[in-house]
Amino acid sequence: MTFSLYVFLFLYFAFLVPWSVFGLIAIYHMFKFGFKNFTTFFTTFIYIGVSVIMLFGSYYYISQIDWSMNVTLLRGLFNIDFQL
Amino acid sequence: MLSVYRLPNKIQDEKIIKILRRDVFILIKKMCLFALLIVLPLIFFYLAFSSQPSLFNGTISYPLIILGTSSYYLFIWVFFFFSFIDYYLDIWVITNERIIDVQQKGFFARTISEQRLYRIQDVTSEVQGFFPTILKYGEVYIQTAGAQQRFLFHEVPHPHEVRNTLIKLAERSKNKNKIKI
Repeated sequence: MTFSLYVFLFLYFAFLVPWSVFGLIAIYHMFKFGFKNFTTFFTTFIYIGVSVIMLFGSYYYISQIDWSMNVTLLRGLFNIDFQL
Repeated sequence: MLSVYRLPNKIQDEKIIKILRRDVFILIKKMCLFALLIVLPLIFFYLAFSSQPSLFNGTISYPLIILGTSSYYLFIWVFFFFSFIDYYLDIWVITNERIIDVQQKGFFARTISEQRLYRIQDVTSEVQGFFPTILKYGEVYIQTAGAQQRFLFHEVPHPHEVRNTLIKLAERSKNKNKIKI
């Protein structure tokens, strides 16, 4: 079975969609229901800041990989010769 | 957004006496769990690298490790932030007129209930367990004559002091509203 490494990358992007949605919901909760004070703004800023750093860190490593490479798994598994 | 100057349905001459959250130790416990979740993969990678150094050079394994690690840390980061929000947005406000209970339950559920102080019938404080006794946090149960008969201040710092404050405020409120105790 041969497939491109892009499959893993697309799965990762698929994970990032709900992750971003949850993050936005969290920020919405903070601003909608939190107190209007320093802690609310500071913790939200820290959350966004660390998230951006993590995404940039991930991008740094992800960009170094050749995702167009093909990968073969389970080679020869279904090439069994039956001799009667 | 809530503000100490804009309480929901503010009563005339209402003053905030106390704003309570769960004890800070509860947040520290969450942070310790988060720290453990950060460290665990590092230990795993250290052990894996010691026994199988080729794991980090493989055509499939290396991209999978990068994507898996990134997904894992992004997930626990958002999980921790939600955990913090759960702590931060659960508040109890004691004013000279009423108590307000604001609870965030999961992503999309939020309950706000309030009770006038003169309706308070009985206040009980409870400190149970090793850490609550050492760090002085616990429960305060408030029995009222309202539809929601029992209010619970969960894991709040100095519950006995909170109980005393509530009893004094309730008595004052009953006198003000001329209700017999």
